[in-house]
Amino acid sequence: MSTLGQELITAAVIGVLQGSIYAMVALGIVLVYRATGVFNFAQAEFGTTALFGAYTAHVVWGWGYAVSFGFGLVVGVVMGLLTEALVIHPLRKASRVTLLVGTAGVALTAIGLQFWKYNETLIMVMPRISDGFHQTKYGSPTDQQLITVAVLVAVTIALALFFRSPWGLAIQAAQQEPVAAELVGINVRSVSLLIWGIAALLGGLAGILAGPNTTFSAAFLSFGAGGALLPGFMAAVLAGMRSMSGAVAGGLVVGFVEQLGNLTLLVDVNGARAMMLFVFLLLVLLFKPSGLFVPRAVTA
Amino acid sequence: MAVLEVQDLVVGYGQFPVLHGINFVIEEGEVCVLLGLNGAGKTTTVSAIAGLLKPTSGEIRFHGKSLRRRSPSARVKDGLSLSPEGRRIFPRLTVSQNLRLGAWSKRRDTRQARQQLDLVFGYFPRLAERGNQMAGTLSGGEQQMLAVGRAVMSRPSLLMIDEASLGLSPTLARAVWEATAQIARDGTTVLMVEQNAGALPFADRALLMEKGTLVHTAVGDDIRNVNLREAYLGA
Repeated sequence: MSTLGQELITAAVIGVLQGSIYAMVALGIVLVYRATGVFNFAQAEFGTTALFGAYTAHVVWGWGYAVSFGFGLVVGVVMGLLTEALVIHPLRKASRVTLLVGTAGVALTAIGLQFWKYNETLIMVMPRISDGFHQTKYGSPTDQQLITVAVLVAVTIALALFFRSPWGLAIQAAQQEPVAAELVGINVRSVSLLIWGIAALLGGLAGILAGPNTTFSAAFLSFGAGGALLPGFMAAVLAGMRSMSGAVAGGLVVGFVEQLGNLTLLVDVNGARAMMLFVFLLLVLLFKPSGLFVPRAVTA
Repeated sequence: MAVLEVQDLVVGYGQFPVLHGINFVIEEGEVCVLLGLNGAGKTTTVSAIAGLLKPTSGEIRFHGKSLRRRSPSARVKDGLSLSPEGRRIFPRLTVSQNLRLGAWSKRRDTRQARQQLDLVFGYFPRLAERGNQMAGTLSGGEQQMLAVGRAVMSRPSLLMIDEASLGLSPTLARAVWEATAQIARDGTTVLMVEQNAGALPFADRALLMEKGTLVHTAVGDDIRNVNLREAYLGA
């Protein structure tokens, strides 16, 4: 096989592995966008905060890995619920721009807290769930990355089932016609808290699973080494900001496109990966602004 | 016994009062129609009863108990149901899913919900045919049937229907009113809101509204009195 062909397959493999994280972030973004019409700037910070929680429990306090992982998720979910209660709900009658700034404020607050608690620690490493890796012709996926893909698959199936359950239907009803939802007895506030809780859980999973791939610091999942906020946002745009399955597909595609920047072809181009991403987003917005992965009748 | 008592109800949007202290009672088992022109305050009245609007003053009692501190969802649980103006069906859910959500407040009793679903399909056979269709793709008349059907799913003791006839052909409007009359015969008290006098033959009593006040109550033969329509609706 030609070198380029092999490089493309490698890009696809690595792209899917990396894209799994983007997909999880994108799922959270789409979920919240459908509920509030707002792009949640804090989505990735739910993940970093959860990662800090897991790291603190496991490395600083010496708790077991599984318990620490769960603790991190709880920290992330609590942050999501607090965001709803302290920012989103009080601002529910404000404009979308105000809400957007509100979520940015949440992200900055979280980043500030992370710096404040851990500025003295120079290098932070979250251990992996398993240290194994698999040497292949097309890159060497680690166990951690494969587990991440498996979690994404599980999460996607779970979400699809959940949206067909009574509470899933109630969420959709509240998003489509809040007044009518209230009139059939759905507590729209509970639905809102539920959505933010699930979004934060997705962010938390992304953060704690991506953390061990590199060292990490404050704002890790937003703009740091694990930067998944922009790619996650792009994936959500590909999904038309509406489709959950589209967000997953979008995440994987964004992961792949980003890896195209690693082709030998582009070795002399500085910042080729970011460039590939933005060129791709630009093309999509120019030619198919409604998104690539948008089922005609979105139910989940 | 009175199902609903409305006492000196004043409701306004911001500084503008829309209802200027209205009083009426709905008795168990009757079909009452709240009739008036656009802007008379009909929708405001039922919205306040359903808990969507907060009254400035006055009292609403349901089965003798004040509703003042009850949330809209709590009122549904109590047995008060509103099919809202503009239908407000869930467009990207199927007809069956819309109806299932109608029984949300009583979702733990799945057997009862299924019975109620059969009942609704009995009132509106067309909904049964279109069970798996997205509600947003239904015709206007079918959407109205769905909105009423959804409101019936919670097994209300008082069913309020806001402008069922709006935007419907006379034939379709009559079909919806006939179904409503059937729902009433099966034991549900009904309060209809209408500006279409065509609803009068289906009602036991008519309350006429004008500019935020109740101006006349018509019972029995009076309802079918042509002069009444002329006097209050100009029809």
